[in-house]
Amino acid sequence: MTTQAIESTAALETTLPRERLLPWVASVDHKQIGIMYMLLSVIFLIIGGLEATLIRIQLAIPNNTFLSPEMFNQLFTMHGTTMVFLVGMPLVTGFANYLIPLMIGAKDVAFPRLNAMSFWILAFGGVLLYFSFLTGSAPNAGWFSYAPLSTKPYSSLLGVDYWIIGLAVMGVGSIAGAINLITTILCLRAPGMSLQRVPLYVWIMLMQSLLVVLAIPPLNSALALLYIDRSLGAAFFEPARGGNAVLWQHFFWLFGHPEVYVFALPSFAVISEVIPVFSRKPIYGYAFVAGSSVAIVLLSYGVWAHHMFAVGLGPAAEIFFAAMTLLIAIPTGIKIFNWTATMWGGSIRLTTAMLFAIAFLIQFVIGGLTGVMFASVPVDWQLTDTYFVVAHFHYVLISCIVFAFFAAVYYWFPKMTGRMLSERLGKLQFWLWLIGFNGTFFVQHLLGLMGMPRRVYTYADLPGWGLLNAVSSASVVFMIAGTLVLLWNIIRSLQHGSPAGNNPWNAYTLEWATTSPPPPENFSSLPEIKSRRPLWDLDNPELADWKFSSTPEDTLSRPTKAKTFAWLFVVSEAIFFVLLLASYVIFNSQTDQQGPTATTALNVPRTAAFTVFLLASSATFWLAEQGLRAGSRIRFLTSLGVTIILGVIFLAGQAIEYKGLLANNITIDRNLFASTFFTVTSFHALHVFGGLVALSIFWIFGQQKILTPRWHAPVQAVGIYWHFVDVVWIVVFSIIYLGVL
Amino acid sequence: MLRAELWNLNSPVWIVAAVMMINYMLLFRPINVKRMLAILSAIALIVLVFISPVGVLADGYLFSAHMVQHLVLLLLVPLLILISLPSERFQRLRTSGILRGNATPIIGWICGIGAMWLWHIPSLCSAATESTGIGLLRDASLVAAGLAFWWPVFSPRQEQRLDPLAGIVYLFSACLGCTLLGVYITFTTISVCPAFTNPTDRINIVGHLYDLGLTPTVDQHLGGLLMWVPPCMLYLSVILFLLSRWYSTMDDRLSLLPQRPVQAGSQL
Repeated sequence: MTTQAIESTAALETTLPRERLLPWVASVDHKQIGIMYMLLSVIFLIIGGLEATLIRIQLAIPNNTFLSPEMFNQLFTMHGTTMVFLVGMPLVTGFANYLIPLMIGAKDVAFPRLNAMSFWILAFGGVLLYFSFLTGSAPNAGWFSYAPLSTKPYSSLLGVDYWIIGLAVMGVGSIAGAINLITTILCLRAPGMSLQRVPLYVWIMLMQSLLVVLAIPPLNSALALLYIDRSLGAAFFEPARGGNAVLWQHFFWLFGHPEVYVFALPSFAVISEVIPVFSRKPIYGYAFVAGSSVAIVLLSYGVWAHHMFAVGLGPAAEIFFAAMTLLIAIPTGIKIFNWTATMWGGSIRLTTAMLFAIAFLIQFVIGGLTGVMFASVPVDWQLTDTYFVVAHFHYVLISCIVFAFFAAVYYWFPKMTGRMLSERLGKLQFWLWLIGFNGTFFVQHLLGLMGMPRRVYTYADLPGWGLLNAVSSASVVFMIAGTLVLLWNIIRSLQHGSPAGNNPWNAYTLEWATTSPPPPENFSSLPEIKSRRPLWDLDNPELADWKFSSTPEDTLSRPTKAKTFAWLFVVSEAIFFVLLLASYVIFNSQTDQQGPTATTALNVPRTAAFTVFLLASSATFWLAEQGLRAGSRIRFLTSLGVTIILGVIFLAGQAIEYKGLLANNITIDRNLFASTFFTVTSFHALHVFGGLVALSIFWIFGQQKILTPRWHAPVQAVGIYWHFVDVVWIVVFSIIYLGVL
Repeated sequence: MLRAELWNLNSPVWIVAAVMMINYMLLFRPINVKRMLAILSAIALIVLVFISPVGVLADGYLFSAHMVQHLVLLLLVPLLILISLPSERFQRLRTSGILRGNATPIIGWICGIGAMWLWHIPSLCSAATESTGIGLLRDASLVAAGLAFWWPVFSPRQEQRLDPLAGIVYLFSACLGCTLLGVYITFTTISVCPAFTNPTDRINIVGHLYDLGLTPTVDQHLGGLLMWVPPCMLYLSVILFLLSRWYSTMDDRLSLLPQRPVQAGSQL
């Protein structure tokens, strides 16, 4: 423990609350934002935990009337949504925020202010979601809000609307945060840290962030469509009016299944750091752990329909999805062997962190194996919507988010605060949670096999059900007690825990090379990075890793921050548009549609003319970039001005088109052609408008002569976005106006 | 499977195979066993997808059989051909126009993914199934497009290969491309290749196929899933291969390094 850290803690305690809070609220420091993410997650963990407790009280005895059916529906919906979006997401993002810059030897994340925005927007989304309770109707359609239950005719109150908006807002925050982390990892690594040398935590979180960028957009498009259904009277998901309820399931699980890996990968990341350190060995098979994470990212996109076996996809699709689901067990299985082999022959120190890591390993295998059972279609038919499913995904998710992250808390708390947590209390907490968790959820496997349905507010007094449910409910007490022990441990340690020093665990990675807690700029000096374990090399010069095995040297080339950001943003937007366009194609390839269609309603030549204006704007933007590079302000301003005018003309063309359609009484709620047409084109127009705002900002900067060379990269980044908007329009034009596909 | 009508043993594809083999033997001496195996597998695959039941059923009966043929010609055969090319020979060649064009990954990507999309536009797909000439054109173009697609990854010219990480992005996006098409073919209600919905039953087998459950709807489902899953699995395997290449850039130096002493438990 450094004297500096003690002084700063002491200083914190003597100042006024307002002066202590403001630096946090106004902070753009990745460490403070990381800690705020974690605190947000703890607050919602308590709320979501209370909801779960109420559910378990209701289910403790048969035919209970503690909760009304309506209240029960709201509670399990909010419990699921909270735990996924407001506990899991902030927790993994918080740790990544705190640790990644430290692990790669950077001063902060790539975009500190964007980072603060991501956090506050997430907090705002959480408040919005919970605000629904004040309207008298919290969301009650389950965490996946299946259509048509979630459509207006079946859920006329505001609950589902709050759910949609809350999730969309949080989704935006998550994508921004993920892009920020990827850019940080790619662009800000310290000299010597080639991508092949980053700690596994960093590599796996890179994969996880990529998965967030790829997986959240499908959710956002689904939410957009559902909201248009509910508020503007479209019928995407209303079968009664020609819509397709199964489409919601496809879109939702296209997000929902990768989301499982969005939670699993961070726990893999934590475990890959904790197990080697407490086994006193380097990780066994670094490349296998890293490579299998890449495989998971790819495969997780191809298995969503295994959530839909009960829908009736047809035998061909079911066989393929079953096979894919079995396949994805392979990369995960590889990791289990890697961790086990790392412990094999190591000198294991059974600290609290290590205990939680080992419990994670065993429980995750149980959850994984029941998952493989579900890959078999007939088993899935038998067990779907029973408590077997509940038991399965709680084994997966609680192992990942709770057990692995308890390990993370005990492992990194000393770094974050400069003080050690009590090992005695930690072990007490461990055993309480181990008993509580398995007691609550293991019996649910049996209940599920007996056929107890999930999401039903009570059950009849069938043989064995009462006893097993009572065991399940009673065990919750242990988890609550364990959590209280953790909170007590944290409070106690903050006041008089023993000082941690820089590297209490003799760990290997860079975050332990600086003080605990780290200074605002993170490092005063960095050790030389010549292998994957720079601190091991520093402490054991004659046994240094680089003397025995080589890793590819750092080329020192790093991509530009602004352009990396722009590309990632464009990728996520592209997926958003692909799904909107998919809905257009699906609904307009039906031949029995009543009312206007693309061939009868649209004026193709006129729009083709306006298309030329938009495409020309890409060329003029290119000229503007050339002007900027040549240092000619006049050329830059003229070309950029022309670009803006061309964009405005295109939007005017859109407005004329809309006016004509509306005059013919073709509105968004007329039929599915109109709904899909207006949705796709207006989202595109919105993107054009956003691009115009960005271009105008640069035009004003140019006017005020503040465009120094350091602005070249941001201008290029906006250019990537602008060209992307044009490309999207080419696709939209070909599909909607020209009828390709 | 064993019925004689399901095999087309006197197909002209043997001539193509012979020409390929002779040319390879003449051009690329001395023979290396590994590369020889690659070119032999490529030729064997070409022969098989035309003479075996896959080839016969692809000729107007089953969309899914056509899809197997399509994927083997587009993905596997070109990949094996590229592996069979000796890099020393290409290193010495002066860069000609075509080779330089192929070096641009964006063109390779468009060729590879474009070939999948283009030949599954309903009118083109039907035309290629019904007319032998267009069918031949399609098959040849698939192999050519496949060569262009794999060139940035397996080019015999070292300097034209993409950096492993860029290669991963290249294949990952390709996977998204074929996934989209596969999803579309699987779930769409319209017939992607109308030629297969009403086959002229030359060998009296349609009834048998229907009995097996291979109705046109199921057949198209299968075709879509074949377009979707196996290519992605192949891309994923190559991605993992590239990753291992990326992690072991320094392998040759490894053997010169001293062996690490066994780590004792007491070590901290």
